Amino acid sequence: MRYSTVVTAVGPLLGEFLAERIIVLFNEDAPEELREFAVIHRPDDTFEEVQPGDLVCFGSHDPIKITAVGDVANKNIAALGHAIFKCNGKDEPELPGDICLEEVPLPEVEVGQTIRIEAGG
Amino acid sequence: MAEYRSVKIEAGRGGWGGPLVITPTEDKPLIYSVTGGGIHPVAAKIAELTGGEAFDGFKSSAKFEKIACAVIDCGGTARVGVYPMKKVPTVDVYPTSPAGPLMMFIKEDIFVSGVTPDQIKPA
Repeated sequence: MRYSTVVTAVGPLLGEFLAERIIVLFNEDAPEELREFAVIHRPDDTFEEVQPGDLVCFGSHDPIKITAVGDVANKNIAALGHAIFKCNGKDEPELPGDICLEEVPLPEVEVGQTIRIEAGG
Repeated sequence: MAEYRSVKIEAGRGGWGGPLVITPTEDKPLIYSVTGGGIHPVAAKIAELTGGEAFDGFKSSAKFEKIACAVIDCGGTARVGVYPMKKVPTVDVYPTSPAGPLMMFIKEDIFVSGVTPDQIKPA
């Protein structure tokens, strides 16, 4: 297990990001203005660096494979519980904060759901 | 009464936007650091040169109307657009160019990126 967290709030503008196939996570320390469009969550203490080939599991939905990890993505997760999942199937991140996922339909994200990142293979 | 001074902030290597001139006021004294690991050195330097108050946005919350500028370490999607959208001058320590769902708000007169303490000069 690389990372495990529970969704505690979902911002009212989340849908605008979902429409662009982007899910933004922040932990509960995030200031109000970042909560508007983000998934707010409470992680446990588990953290290992996330790598391409790892799997993201939203609740009981099918795991989604990570295809690329940007240079600052792991720092964001460790420091702020901040992740940017882009469901674009790219194997090179467009931006340094990106975590790219294979291009599958995005799952619903809801309060109480567990989000886990697991080592692939 | 506090005395505030201005700084000019230019884009750093590979960065985009700016230059921005930041002058805190009594109504907008805060240099708002929305970065991992506490007050970022860029925010600390802006505060030192202007007489503004460095503020850690992840420790406690500030009123938007009190923010003179926001300092972010955004890899490109979220924070990079939120503060420009709210008309808060935004300094990104990463060399980010406009992108993401909020990119229409990211303009040269409100956003500068790739900034290190070396790009901050008294104005």
